[in-house]
Amino acid sequence: MAIWISFCLVLFTGCQRGGSDSSKQLTLAVNSGVEGDALKQAARDYEAQTGVHINIAEFPYANLFEKELIDLNSATGAYDLIMLDDPWFPRFAHKQFLTELTPMLQARGVQGPDPDFVQTSLALCRHPYQTGALYALPYVGNSQLFFYRHDLFEKYGLKEPATWQDTLAAAKTIQDKEGTSGNKTYGYVMRAAQGNAAVADFMPIFWAFGAEMFDASGKPTVNSPEAIAALKFMLELGKYSPPGYASFNADEVGAHLLQGTAAMSINWPAWITSFSDPAKSKVIGKMTFTTLPGAQKPGQAEIGNWLIAIPRGAKNADAAMDFLLWATSAKEMKRSALGGNPPTRRSLFIDAELVSKFPSYPAQLRSLETSKPRPRTPQWNEIENAFGIFLSKANSGELSAEDALNQANGEIEKILQRGQ
Amino acid sequence: MVKSKRFSSAVSSRSDLRLAYLFLTPAVLILLALTIYPLFYSVTVSLQSDSANGPHWSLANFQRLLSDNFFLSAMAHTFVYAASALICEFLLGLGLALMLNSRIRGRSIFRATLLVPMMLPAVVVGVVWRLMLNPNFGAINGTLKGFGVDTESLTWTASPRLALFSVIIVDIWQWTPFVFLVLLAGLQAIPQEPYEAARIDGSSRWQTFRYVTMPLLKPAILIALLLRTMDLLRVFDQIFILTEGGPGFATETISLYIYRTAFRFFDFGYAAAMSFVLLAITNVISVVYIRFLQARETT
Repeated sequence: MAIWISFCLVLFTGCQRGGSDSSKQLTLAVNSGVEGDALKQAARDYEAQTGVHINIAEFPYANLFEKELIDLNSATGAYDLIMLDDPWFPRFAHKQFLTELTPMLQARGVQGPDPDFVQTSLALCRHPYQTGALYALPYVGNSQLFFYRHDLFEKYGLKEPATWQDTLAAAKTIQDKEGTSGNKTYGYVMRAAQGNAAVADFMPIFWAFGAEMFDASGKPTVNSPEAIAALKFMLELGKYSPPGYASFNADEVGAHLLQGTAAMSINWPAWITSFSDPAKSKVIGKMTFTTLPGAQKPGQAEIGNWLIAIPRGAKNADAAMDFLLWATSAKEMKRSALGGNPPTRRSLFIDAELVSKFPSYPAQLRSLETSKPRPRTPQWNEIENAFGIFLSKANSGELSAEDALNQANGEIEKILQRGQ
Repeated sequence: MVKSKRFSSAVSSRSDLRLAYLFLTPAVLILLALTIYPLFYSVTVSLQSDSANGPHWSLANFQRLLSDNFFLSAMAHTFVYAASALICEFLLGLGLALMLNSRIRGRSIFRATLLVPMMLPAVVVGVVWRLMLNPNFGAINGTLKGFGVDTESLTWTASPRLALFSVIIVDIWQWTPFVFLVLLAGLQAIPQEPYEAARIDGSSRWQTFRYVTMPLLKPAILIALLLRTMDLLRVFDQIFILTEGGPGFATETISLYIYRTAFRFFDFGYAAAMSFVLLAITNVISVVYIRFLQARETT
């Protein structure tokens, strides 16, 4: 009986507290991972400074998308702020789902977002891309980098690859020389598991060869001659990648690089710190991180930023905006950067303290500023899945480059037709 | 005896009967809310499609099934997977059950060890096999290399030819013990008399097996095959961990495709339509099984 009464009391007081403080309470949906950790830390600090109570709802990457979309679809008001991966943005960004930020900035006496934000990052937060209304602010500024073993390059007199052809030649040289000893080193390692992995590793080659996923009228063009040439090149490079790469994801690529069994790869900045960790890395001090090689066109990385937005149904949009501006301010973002998240502000990429801690920042800034977004379509998940399946089929030897891309183009066309 | 008499007289009294209904109501309501309502709701979802003027009734989701190459090949993979795994699991399970039903030395140890794979969660099995099948660092290729086998082309889950085979092997490894367990229980429930009669009639070992063991084991076989078939047709977890359906589409089964459609592409209508097709197929197969085995029993 005593337990029952105390249980009721707890419930009662709990409700009361929730009721009286509701104006000073925010709920955040964050990704469980290094990006979400930084925002969680910021929330704790903000709470201590301002007394605004912040609840954190943390989800693994795959679940975050569905939780957020369900919330936005029915405007439940469950979250005041949501962290989102930029490819989801076209699906989320319209008036019924997200709050427009410009009027809220103007109410605070500023005309628009801080010009210190990297332009390519800020462009992701507008719908339509680059030109439209502002629905989010960029928080983590990832873009792909080219990783290579400078010790092996020096050993064989190779220069940093400026083009994909240089990359292929270097992969061949390194594998011929290092591929026979007991501890085999492959020239290159890529990931071609169906879905996101294959597409992410293919896009920089695809773009460099002058291919585009859609033409000006929005029709898919993934089987253009340039695209076929790009995929044929990927298969050529695959000959210098460890066997089974058609099922590799980021973990396998990371493992090969850290173990020193592969010499080059495309990867994301999140991996950089593990290369100087003696517990994980056999290649400490032997890696260089730089911008991507080019071909017919200059090299371009795929951008992959984490954004923060305010759902339309948010119960405390104004308080949420205050927190959003605070968390994305230069001072707070620097703390997130020190925790290992690439910033989205130019001033932080050239900040002396950060550059001394992360020597690859100049390369990261160049990569980010010249990066390209995944096509801005609300059906990207489905398109990426179909495209990735056929890329993986080509890399596993099931289909030729032409067949794979022709079939992929057909499937993408079907997806677009359904969306109309 | 006294208890049951009191119970029956209590139920027969009218007010107590009402009380019984009263106590049953919450359970029935919860069942309605959590099972029956969602079932009917998903029927309506599968029969609606989105258009510019909001959702409207149509058969579009079901029509799309026939022209969807991904759906058709996912279905084909599911059947190949289910049929091969079922045949192997049944034959191996039956063999093991027959062997361990005889009085061999240490059979209790064998029985206990055989059950270990079945007790592991599918996710753990997936991760363990994923590591073992890794072409570069895995234990299987490592061992083969030790015997001098060239493993360069043995990429298991990354090879379009070997991937489906690999995931079937994992299923057989994990679920043969289940078939074994059910059949062993069936064997142990068979009385000794028919065997004695067969021996007196001078039947051979094969004849005894064919005309005594098999007919009497039929109920156990039915249960084992039925449960395994239903499980195999909806297989999800270990394939999701092992290959996520890849490379390409080589191991994508229908459950994976349904999951992707619902939770990655957010197309619940189409996912529901596919689920109902899977449900219908599972039902038909189950009914066929039951009929087939019952018919054989009466002849």
